[in-house]
Amino acid sequence: MTHIKYYAFPQTVKEALALLLNKRYKAMAVAGGTLVAKTLPDSVETYLDLKNLPIKGIKLSGGDLVIGAGASFDVIDRSKLCRSWAGGVISLAAAGCSSQLIRNRATIGGNIARPHSFNIFPVVLLGLDAKVRLVSRAGAKVADFSGLYSPDFGLKTGLDCIITEIIIPAKTKNWKCEFIKLAKTESSWESYITLFFAAEKRGRSLTQVRVAVGAMSPKPFRVLAAEKALESVASGPEAAVIFARELEAARAGRYRSEAASSLLKRFVSEKIK
Amino acid sequence: MKKQNMIEAREGLFEIALTVNGVKRVVCVKNGEFLLDAVRRLGLKGTKKGCDTGDCGSCAVMLNGLPVLACLVPAVAAHEGEITTIEGLGTVRSPHPIQEAFVEAGAVQCGFCIPGMILASKHLLDRTPNPAEAEIRKALDGNLCRCTGYVKQVEAVKIAAKRLRAEG
Repeated sequence: MTHIKYYAFPQTVKEALALLLNKRYKAMAVAGGTLVAKTLPDSVETYLDLKNLPIKGIKLSGGDLVIGAGASFDVIDRSKLCRSWAGGVISLAAAGCSSQLIRNRATIGGNIARPHSFNIFPVVLLGLDAKVRLVSRAGAKVADFSGLYSPDFGLKTGLDCIITEIIIPAKTKNWKCEFIKLAKTESSWESYITLFFAAEKRGRSLTQVRVAVGAMSPKPFRVLAAEKALESVASGPEAAVIFARELEAARAGRYRSEAASSLLKRFVSEKIK
Repeated sequence: MKKQNMIEAREGLFEIALTVNGVKRVVCVKNGEFLLDAVRRLGLKGTKKGCDTGDCGSCAVMLNGLPVLACLVPAVAAHEGEITTIEGLGTVRSPHPIQEAFVEAGAVQCGFCIPGMILASKHLLDRTPNPAEAEIRKALDGNLCRCTGYVKQVEAVKIAAKRLRAEG
């Protein structure tokens, strides 16, 4: 980041956006900066620090859980609201990210702004059908999180838009979920496997099934074939075979595919009763 | 953009305002310089340069009350911030209770990781006066020690917690 000419710390989202969109400044928005401060592209001339923006709160709104994009992992980990949501899976995921010294500074907005495959939150938000509120030249809008990394999305977060909120829909409040991170050590930045599972048992069948995968491909994705298998046959072992096959097809590698499929089997047999 | 919310580099230097260990200072930092190097340049060498990639925790300082990795915070991003380094916690003649506890428990071997570990412990004890062992281990999970197995450090934090509670 030796090409930085300006360091800006706006107090409002409006001010931040104005600077981001002003071509003269060649700005990039940075939240906690733990992942990107050392690797800012040379083309960036303005370090647009979002630390003072009032987008750090966690609240309920119309039944949805709304997490400010500037909320740190530590705040999310300790938030009573997050701990009470979907079996506490959001807080558990926050607590599982790297080390306390990182969690004190890293933010959920920064974690999802760039699709590093090993990032913690994308896989969780994908599984929870989350939405993001963002501001751009066209104004504020709410978009499905699942579309954020698509080439069709048309906006680059941190370069021509700023994420301000993450919205977790009310329907997920009581979901039975599991987040799993397998890495070299508990405090490793990079994980080999991140998984998010959710399901509800209704009679003998399963509903609201979500099987999301991170770290095993460049971008996180939902494994729809495995979800469908679980909803139709409600059998963990059968769905696990389909899951492993899908992961191998996505070039996740044999070891990781088999490990992930065993973890899905365990989720169905132990968590969904 | 309001002028007061922006700093411009002049000849590759940013002039920033910091409060370091309670003393207000105006510091010139280089473009691309991280807080770790800026702090050490001020003579505060208790902040250690270990991995320089955010993995070891030996560079931890308190920034606005939170322990952070100084090697990952651009120095200019600390503008108008309050920094506490290990030198701001206690002295050889008048050590902080956590520093005393680390010595008493035999938690210090080579000592390289200890400043970061003590600052992380301070933050934990400030908000959790009576932490469980799991909470202590979680708070110290970013501070790597290559000499020990962390047993003595955990013990030291327990001793310090007890002493600080007694002091009220």
